[in-house]
Amino acid sequence: MIELVDVTKVYPNDVVALKNVNLKIDRGEFVFVVGPSGAGKSTLVRLLYREEVATRGQVIVHGKNVARLRRSSIPLLRRTIGVIFQDFKLLPDRNALDNVAFALEVTEASRREIRRRVPAVLDLVGLKDRARAFPHELSGGEQQRLAIARAIINGPSILVADEPTGNLDPDTSWGIMNLLQTLNRNGATVIMATHAKAIVNAMKKRVVAMDHGRIIRDQVQGVYAHEVN
Amino acid sequence: MKSTSLVFGVKQTARSLRQNALMSLASVLTVALSLLVAGLFGLITANLGHIARLAEQQVEVTVFVHDTLPVEAVRTVESQLKALPGVTQVTFVSKDEALARLKAVFANDKDLLAEVEQQNPLYRSFEVRTARPEQIKPTAEAAGKMTGVVKVNYKQEVIEKLFRVTRAIRVSGLAIMVALALAMVMIISNTIRITVFARRREIAIMKLVGATDGFIRWPFVCEGVFLGVVGAGFTSLALWSSYSWAWSGVQRGMPFIPLLPKQPLLLDLTVLILGAGALIGAIGSALSLRRFLRV
Repeated sequence: MIELVDVTKVYPNDVVALKNVNLKIDRGEFVFVVGPSGAGKSTLVRLLYREEVATRGQVIVHGKNVARLRRSSIPLLRRTIGVIFQDFKLLPDRNALDNVAFALEVTEASRREIRRRVPAVLDLVGLKDRARAFPHELSGGEQQRLAIARAIINGPSILVADEPTGNLDPDTSWGIMNLLQTLNRNGATVIMATHAKAIVNAMKKRVVAMDHGRIIRDQVQGVYAHEVN
Repeated sequence: MKSTSLVFGVKQTARSLRQNALMSLASVLTVALSLLVAGLFGLITANLGHIARLAEQQVEVTVFVHDTLPVEAVRTVESQLKALPGVTQVTFVSKDEALARLKAVFANDKDLLAEVEQQNPLYRSFEVRTARPEQIKPTAEAAGKMTGVVKVNYKQEVIEKLFRVTRAIRVSGLAIMVALALAMVMIISNTIRITVFARRREIAIMKLVGATDGFIRWPFVCEGVFLGVVGAGFTSLALWSSYSWAWSGVQRGMPFIPLLPKQPLLLDLTVLILGAGALIGAIGSALSLRRFLRV
């Protein structure tokens, strides 16, 4: 489903974010990418939906090298990948309903489809009663749920989360993790870059640990760091 | 284009025009004024060209023949003239007829008329017309070489001067129009850039959730085209009323100046100006978006 082959990423300011990274993720997996700040976690997930392009090596998603995609095919790739951010990236001048509908409008879905699917997804993330609320009227956890609703509205097979609990308190974070786990059980491949030691250790999922742009550990049912064991 | 994106685009356009009212008004006025200058140049060159062409069509070569030339030889000259390439009409003017024309022009000058009536000094002549204006000169040159021809007259120089002036105005007008078009594109692009900048977050998110460039570009292009067309609308109104006013003024005061009739000139010009406004608006907004679409 996802494969990185000998990927190196050098930013224009000569910062080497990834060095010869090899990684394979199968359909339906739940993978944590952990490591200190600057280890290359965010760069790794950004390569998947082609916000960044690898300097060397191949990033293969759905069997295609994303660097080779035609410009017109990039939107189609992104519709199959739901992305969730630490800062939610919601539109402040639209209410919850419109924030989610937005991601459907972009795909030129019909208005009937939008009216049908948006409330269903809001229900799924537990925001049924907050549909008319604007982002600033929502709590952090609710905002992240809304962002997840937007990420899954197009029915993506891959969910990419970059520090999704970074701005949330522990209780709220668990709510988000339960939601991600539910989506994973329903078939979505989840790749989550995170600092949240407690969550990683408790969930016993595959852990890819990074440092200085290299993968230093790849462990099934892993933990955040060896010392914890 | 599906109806969702159409509705989406129109909503976005209305929203940003409202939020950006002052800048939008400024660009509409700039576009209107620039197009007005362009339109006035267009009207002036169209009319000068028209006048020059009319004058040119009236140009003919007058070929005078010797008084001593026998009638048969005059006939030969006539048939030779008719045989020249491009010649459409050859009219013989006798000495009497030439005199009659002179009398008509100088009806008040009794002394002169009395003198010429005693002994008609006027030559017999042929008035030669050609199919195309540029055939005048070779026709005149050929006629000059024929036996029995005294003199050949044609007023090509005046016409050529008129054409040169028209051409100069057209060229300088075109240069000014190109400069103005660039200015208009920049102004509109700048106005749209403000909108784009205010919504760069939204654009980045749209790209992340899989919007195509076309889908993102479309509302902004709408906005640019709207600004351009509204400006062009004002210009058309101004040109329409000012040309009508000038036209009736000339008709009343200087009816001998053959101005182009109002229609279809104004209608054509309006279509052209509205099209230019739309095009300039579209180019301006597309330019301002290019940088922001690279996500």
